[in-house]
Amino acid sequence: MLTRRHFVASVALLAVSGWAGHTFISPAAAQSADQGASAFIQKLGNDAIATFSDKSLSRDQAIQRFRTLLYAGFDVPYIGRWVLGRYWNSANEAQRAEYQKLFEQLIVNTYAERFVEYSGETFKITGVTPAGEADSMVTTQIVRPNGPPVNVSWRVRKGAADYKIIDVVVENVSMGVTQRQEFASVIEQNNGRVDGLIQALRQKVGRTG
Amino acid sequence: MKLARLSRSLLRSATVVALALTATACATNPGDSGAKDAAYQVNDPLEGANRVVFAVNDAVDTVALRPAAEVYVAVLPDPVRDVIHNFIDNLMAPLYIANNLLQGNVDGATNATGRFLTNTILGAGGIADVASQAGIPNAQEDFGQTLAVWGVGEGPYLVLPLLGPSNLRDAAGYGVDTVGDPVRIWAYAHNGQGLMYTRAGVSAVDRRSEVLKSVDDLRRNSLDFYATVRSLYHQQREAAIANNQGAQPEFPDFTNNSAGNSAGAPPASTPKP
Repeated sequence: MLTRRHFVASVALLAVSGWAGHTFISPAAAQSADQGASAFIQKLGNDAIATFSDKSLSRDQAIQRFRTLLYAGFDVPYIGRWVLGRYWNSANEAQRAEYQKLFEQLIVNTYAERFVEYSGETFKITGVTPAGEADSMVTTQIVRPNGPPVNVSWRVRKGAADYKIIDVVVENVSMGVTQRQEFASVIEQNNGRVDGLIQALRQKVGRTG
Repeated sequence: MKLARLSRSLLRSATVVALALTATACATNPGDSGAKDAAYQVNDPLEGANRVVFAVNDAVDTVALRPAAEVYVAVLPDPVRDVIHNFIDNLMAPLYIANNLLQGNVDGATNATGRFLTNTILGAGGIADVASQAGIPNAQEDFGQTLAVWGVGEGPYLVLPLLGPSNLRDAAGYGVDTVGDPVRIWAYAHNGQGLMYTRAGVSAVDRRSEVLKSVDDLRRNSLDFYATVRSLYHQQREAAIANNQGAQPEFPDFTNNSAGNSAGAPPASTPKP
């Protein structure tokens, strides 16, 4: 029930509070593609730590850098579309465009704060396994100054040019699945209209600042 | 949360449901063949009622549990809170052992037994979690998980008064765990109901205190907090039942006929799996 420690840990995830530090690669399934995915996560994590350890940045600068890192590391349009799930098909062009814009803002609003507040977390890569047909799951452990470590896995897909993250799994909870189910619930409460979700996103994004 | 231990009638009915469920266990199909759709299909026929209970729980949390947890964190230093947490958890160990055995998980039962002995003897009656430091993982196996291993499906999602998110199977499992709870058995044999209430209260505050900031974040960032918690609960339970080997959703390739990496919206057609 709500009280179980698993649930506790999963919620703790959602406060994914930054990444950092130690290099510790132990390739469980040593394939060359996996190595690439693991190196990609390592570099992205190191960049994030370097960026947010610098406390001389203004808030706006830090958020801008978060956005840069977000696009360097994540396939945001893919995630947005995946999260919308079957409702993507029933949305028209204009709705899709606005949804993708709002989704990106929601991600920035939700996570930028946690990175800007970076307070010495470190991470180590604990393994790489193949996922699905062509992806790699890079598992990491985030070590926090306070509280128990958090297990985070990054689903990485190799594109034409580079690697991109397409899902994040924190203590066995997929961020993509969670958001997909949440968005589906909002749409269902609006009689299956995607506009209902877009309206809710506008409000959410609008009043955060 | 565990305050619901206070409600004996609730527990009695849960136990009855548990027995009924066990009787029908063999008729239930554990297979979830609709895995493709599982990522957004939720089994929540009682959503209306669940949302009402969820709102009430949320109100109780806002006026009582969350403030209590804040005071708890402010007043007691980390090491003291760890002692309390470890002590409460260690007394549940016999249940974890029993559920591992019922699941036929000998390794798990061995681990749980090792933890219990280590922490009880070397950890001064369970106040120090020596076992975790020695690398023995803490897997809190409950009867809901045992039922799942036996093939009982999760049934409809339920939000229980004070206890929070659950489902028919896990609620039944909770009833069985409560009946088998060693502390409860001891307390009822020694007229120690007060001890039960104390533990229920402290345990609820302890667990809530671990997620103060996380839950605040979650609530602030959710469009639909109810749906988010429902999804978290389902995913956590699936992972716990499979002992972290859970199935993964499918991530199709959208780029076949669209510019998937451009920020603009890709064209209308979707690749069929």
